[in-house]
Amino acid sequence: MSGEKRMVYFTVRDAYRLGIGYIRRRFQRTAINVASIALANSFLTSLILTDLFYATYNKFQGGSIGVDAYQYWLVAVALIVSVVGITNAMLISVYERYREIGTMKCIGALDQHILMLFLIESIIQGAAGGVIGFIFGVVAAIVSSGFTTGFDIILKIPAISLLGYLLGTTFLSVMLSIIASIYPAWRASKLPPVEALSYEL
Amino acid sequence: MSYDTVIELRKLVRYYTMGDETVKALDSVDLDIGRGEYVSIVGPSGSGKTTLFNLIGGLDKPTEGNVFIDGVDISQLDAYELAWLRCRKIGYIFQSFNLIQVLTALENVALPTVFAGTPHDEGLKKAEKLLASVGLGKRIHHRPSELSAGQQQRVAIARALANDPAIILADEPTGNLDLQTGIEIIDLLHGLNKMKGLTLVAATHDLKMIKASDRIVWMRDGQIEKIERG
Repeated sequence: MSGEKRMVYFTVRDAYRLGIGYIRRRFQRTAINVASIALANSFLTSLILTDLFYATYNKFQGGSIGVDAYQYWLVAVALIVSVVGITNAMLISVYERYREIGTMKCIGALDQHILMLFLIESIIQGAAGGVIGFIFGVVAAIVSSGFTTGFDIILKIPAISLLGYLLGTTFLSVMLSIIASIYPAWRASKLPPVEALSYEL
Repeated sequence: MSYDTVIELRKLVRYYTMGDETVKALDSVDLDIGRGEYVSIVGPSGSGKTTLFNLIGGLDKPTEGNVFIDGVDISQLDAYELAWLRCRKIGYIFQSFNLIQVLTALENVALPTVFAGTPHDEGLKKAEKLLASVGLGKRIHHRPSELSAGQQQRVAIARALANDPAIILADEPTGNLDLQTGIEIIDLLHGLNKMKGLTLVAATHDLKMIKASDRIVWMRDGQIEKIERG
């Protein structure tokens, strides 16, 4: 054991590669998490855009319609529910993978590698849910406000501001997904290998 | 301290506390295992076989005493060094194979090379070679659920060899296999031991495995009852 530097390696790229493998091959669980995020984000997006459509309508057509403030409270609740749901799903996912976590530690994984693996999965899920949710949110906003403002209202919104909302809400989705996954991922990473290996589901 | 000794156990003690009771899983075990030796650890369940396996493998910490691997006291190692030891020095084989279910045979075998810092393509190439050497050259893209028990254990053996470890630790490697498959796996392990000079330490009930070994360590109640030449 002399001379050679005693290091183990697991880069973000390795974690990404492995994370994608998990997501592709355990698609159902991933789909539930993604759907949860997408639902929350589509709710948020549709509300923000409806607000924007109304404001644009007011500006061009001289109306005075708006979104009720309480609806934003509903969105906040939806986001929290989504976070709790993802935490729950991720905890189940950690239990399912107890043995695999133990095995990974046997072949050289450090605590932080396990943490990174789970967090990268949650980032991918958050980003996917964010983008899907945004698309649904845009459609929902157009459908719900189009009858009042006219369906061509979308054309009056600058593309750059839509892009801004896409990035903003996707970022929020990723953050929520990370927040939801921190505790499960931390628990997974702290598992002693012996305990993880002897766990019977 | 002889350099031919690869594993040294000194007054190894491991207690577990269960409520108010203290269970002596291992009680003062001394043992030297030489390089290239094939040692079977035998005993009834609860005799301390698995505890010994976990301690030698750096998966658990002793209550007292020391485990030396290549002259290094592994209780003195930090998390990085311990991970390095598990990654590079020791290959683990389990009764229930413990393959990563979402990965293919090839990816499973290549995974330890990732932690060793081997470039991706090189690791895959090596994994392919190892799978061919355990007789699974044609099934490298199958996932564990698509392989038989014997084939899964072959994948696990190939994975254990991925970083050219000095020591192979096997915990009941034939415990989940039928007779014929068990014999094949024993032959494979025995061959690796003899041809590659790998040190093989196997906890087992299997008489055929015991017969193939150089030395047999009989455990009872956390202590070594007797040591026999094979």
